[in-house]
Amino acid sequence: MIVLGIESTAHTFGIGIVDERLRVLADVRKQYAPKSGGILPREVAPFFSRSAAQALREALEEARISVREVDAVAVALGPGMGPQLRVGASVARALASHYAKPLVPVNHAVAHIEVARWSTGLKDPIALYVAGGNTAVISYAEERYRVFGETLDIPLGNLLDTFAREVGIAPPYVKGGKHAVDICAEGGDFLEGMPYVVKGQDSSFSGLLTAALRMVERGARLSDVCFTLREIAYSSVVEVLERGLALTGKREVVLTGGVAASSLLNEKISLMASLHGAAFRPIPREYSGDNGVMIALTGVAALKWGQTVSPSEALVRQRWRIDQVKIPWYYEFPW
Amino acid sequence: MELGLLAEAVRGFRLIKRGAESEVRLGAFLGLPAIYKHRLPKPYMHPRLAQVLARQRSVREAKIILKARAARVPAPRLYAIFPTLSLIVMEYIEGETLKEVAERERGLAVSLAHEAGRIVAMLHEAGIAHGDPTTSNFIFSHGELRVIDFGLSDFTADIEDLAVDVHLFRRAVESAHAHIAKDMYSSFLKGYASVREADAVIRRAEEIRLRGRYVEERRTVWGRR
Repeated sequence: MIVLGIESTAHTFGIGIVDERLRVLADVRKQYAPKSGGILPREVAPFFSRSAAQALREALEEARISVREVDAVAVALGPGMGPQLRVGASVARALASHYAKPLVPVNHAVAHIEVARWSTGLKDPIALYVAGGNTAVISYAEERYRVFGETLDIPLGNLLDTFAREVGIAPPYVKGGKHAVDICAEGGDFLEGMPYVVKGQDSSFSGLLTAALRMVERGARLSDVCFTLREIAYSSVVEVLERGLALTGKREVVLTGGVAASSLLNEKISLMASLHGAAFRPIPREYSGDNGVMIALTGVAALKWGQTVSPSEALVRQRWRIDQVKIPWYYEFPW
Repeated sequence: MELGLLAEAVRGFRLIKRGAESEVRLGAFLGLPAIYKHRLPKPYMHPRLAQVLARQRSVREAKIILKARAARVPAPRLYAIFPTLSLIVMEYIEGETLKEVAERERGLAVSLAHEAGRIVAMLHEAGIAHGDPTTSNFIFSHGELRVIDFGLSDFTADIEDLAVDVHLFRRAVESAHAHIAKDMYSSFLKGYASVREADAVIRRAEEIRLRGRYVEERRTVWGRR
């Protein structure tokens, strides 16, 4: 069984091809990088449309298969940005109906957790999912992934990106695998007086963003502000994760999503996990950010458990919450 | 110097819980069994951030316990506070957490949720938001439900902070006790409403939930979808 997965929720159009034994046959990504400003759907969606056919060709070539040998098409139908999601959904529907393949709907957040479980071998973890559009602590209970805590306002990745853009150190947001705020924080010191907000199981970053921007306006050294902003933001999500670990009693911890590429965040979680005797393994860098492989991996599992949809019903769901999806394969995956 | 000796002595007490916040030890204070709650600087934080948070949270916790007790909330009695050590000494409450009860006895858990709602409402009446009212922070002791861990509590009358408490209780039962979450939450709300006006707080709690990322029924500028 071979599954082709399509990712197009935000800035990456990805195609992954995976076989039944969860081996990766192809991993192709077309990433949109803005020259100025942020990720604007009206600019990214046309880029995806232009890149889709080429990505598909490259992926099939890399896997050395023809499209007829694909047994099912999996697609991330949400959550994400509508215009981009519609490109991936259109490609998936077209492939599925033209070649008469089953179509497997995949929740993007579920896929981030499944790729973390698959690549780290930690099978029953509590997960910190941090990206440009998401910040949540998630763990499995009774058939579904449950959100233990999340941001009450802006996501962590959005905090870093917005700050970097406002103070003029981005785009590009990522240089040589490092975020602009990480680069800026080098040589910085801790500044007193920025708000640290954890409300029980949730974090909040909007006040921190405002305070950091105000400090820059008032002439604080940029590297100190970057250092402190990052320190407070990462510490607060790790603290929420720590509480989740304590309340759920899980023994394993994973970090996933675009911000999982941060080595500092990995260090903090590793320290926290060892404090509680929990296992932590960092996700390989290539699978932290959005990719098609994670959609294909999740697609293989979902297909095996019969989660398919007809092309006419495969509509995008911009606000598809992770806890709306049943995960019947949880204890079998990864096999 | 004396404080150093005290810290040393506390480390000799039996560790009964290493929580996300602190080390909790069971020892004695003036002959009474007592909880020694020592906030540790979190090793994953910058030392200055960790130290400031630990001290601030200990002092705030002590003040809040006093105010809660004065308002007849069944919080632990406060025995002593040592800010520079981030150490609080308080009454030892023996019993089972509401979390444990929920895993064992559905009916009792639902009726205790009513009491939890009452307790949270009494705190709110006293101008306190608990900040972390999960099922691990209620203890069923000698037939009475008690509330512990004011580490994240705050003096506030802001409806947002109060609603966060209600939201957090709901979130806790949904994530840890999914099969009885609905019953526990509605019982909690009834208990809350038996003490103080609840409608506005419940409405705001619902808004907070909808404010989370990607809730499908989230309210938008175009109205409810």
